[in-house]
Amino acid sequence: MDRMRWIFFATLAIVGVGGAHAAETAMTAEQIGQVERVESITIPMPGEFFTAIGKLSRPDWKKFLRTGTPVATASRAQIALGLGTLVADGYVAVEAQDGQGVKNIGKEIINLAKKLNVSQSVLGRGNSLNDFAENNDWSALREELEATQNEVKLDMEIQKDGGLITLVTVGAWVRGMEIASGLVAETYTPEAARLLHQPAIMTYLLDQLAAVPEGMQKEPLILDLRAGLEKCQSEIAPETPSFENVTAVHEVMAEMVREIIINPEES
Amino acid sequence: MIKGLLFTLMLAGAVQAQEEPANVQVETPDTEISARSRVLELAGAFSNDGYKIRDGFWAGNLEPDRPKFLEVNLFSGNEYWFSGAATPPARQIGIQIYDAKGQPVKIQTYEDGPVAAAGFVPEVSGQYFVGIRLLSGEKSEFCLLYSYK
Repeated sequence: MDRMRWIFFATLAIVGVGGAHAAETAMTAEQIGQVERVESITIPMPGEFFTAIGKLSRPDWKKFLRTGTPVATASRAQIALGLGTLVADGYVAVEAQDGQGVKNIGKEIINLAKKLNVSQSVLGRGNSLNDFAENNDWSALREELEATQNEVKLDMEIQKDGGLITLVTVGAWVRGMEIASGLVAETYTPEAARLLHQPAIMTYLLDQLAAVPEGMQKEPLILDLRAGLEKCQSEIAPETPSFENVTAVHEVMAEMVREIIINPEES
Repeated sequence: MIKGLLFTLMLAGAVQAQEEPANVQVETPDTEISARSRVLELAGAFSNDGYKIRDGFWAGNLEPDRPKFLEVNLFSGNEYWFSGAATPPARQIGIQIYDAKGQPVKIQTYEDGPVAAAGFVPEVSGQYFVGIRLLSGEKSEFCLLYSYK
């Protein structure tokens, strides 16, 4: 492998790399209008977010590890959102290098996936997560968490549960933003705050939420989520969100996560 | 130059060996699978340097003079490589990255016929567009994915 790697990067340096340069022509308005969006690429995973944060500081990831049982509810929408938040938690456990934490979260993800009637193929992912956690293979775990989420989404697609796919994505993003904004607020720097400037993602998620089945849209939790995301949209619009912007985002996201993981009867 | 040729030959050999992968979904065209195999081979080289490969991919058709564009959302400070591959009759492809206003940004490029990659370290988080275009050849299937660290 080392030899292959060496040859590859030597090749980049000697032959293939055109060097640092910019493409010659800008996109036309028509081309911008025809841009495609593929959720599994267009929307970054929480792990990508956390990687960027980890370059600016040394967060105490263990502080963000969440323990407890998954949401007990009959609402499929809330289960899908809860599953998304668990995926983000999985990345926190990976960053904290907490193997047992990853195993526990993997088990909870599978339990929630079962409640949504996903196929047996997803269950194998739980075993993979366990194996990688056992071997402290953090890099592989980051990829496996995303693969697990995508496999759940693929099953939902096969079952024509498109609305649930959106909610898994929203759940992961909301929990990821809660953690990231909390970290940025703790030791505010403009550089770290700039990581939160992701207005296009917020717009995408709001568009997707507006497209979930009508019955689902009327659920109080979904209405609250839309209101929360709309509020955050303006807070992260500046290229460098202020401390007040970051704090506001954190408060809204934390409240949304609380609503997602709480038993509706307790609220 | 010899090293470059060696790599090209190794890559071609590896791609050749993966042209008919087993256990694939029946609905997925063979050409797309081949493009995916090629792009995974290229991205695999980056992962040896600590880059994590996203699980998702973007696939479709490329035609001469009709580039395609995908929205991505990136984080400042992260390092990205966008890898793409196309199947014959594509002979050469290119990948570019643009900011949210559609202006080209500075990138590192790797181009080897129907396989190409663009490296980018954004200074500003947010929306970007990845463009892939057919520089030589006829209508063909392509596959693109990205890695980050």
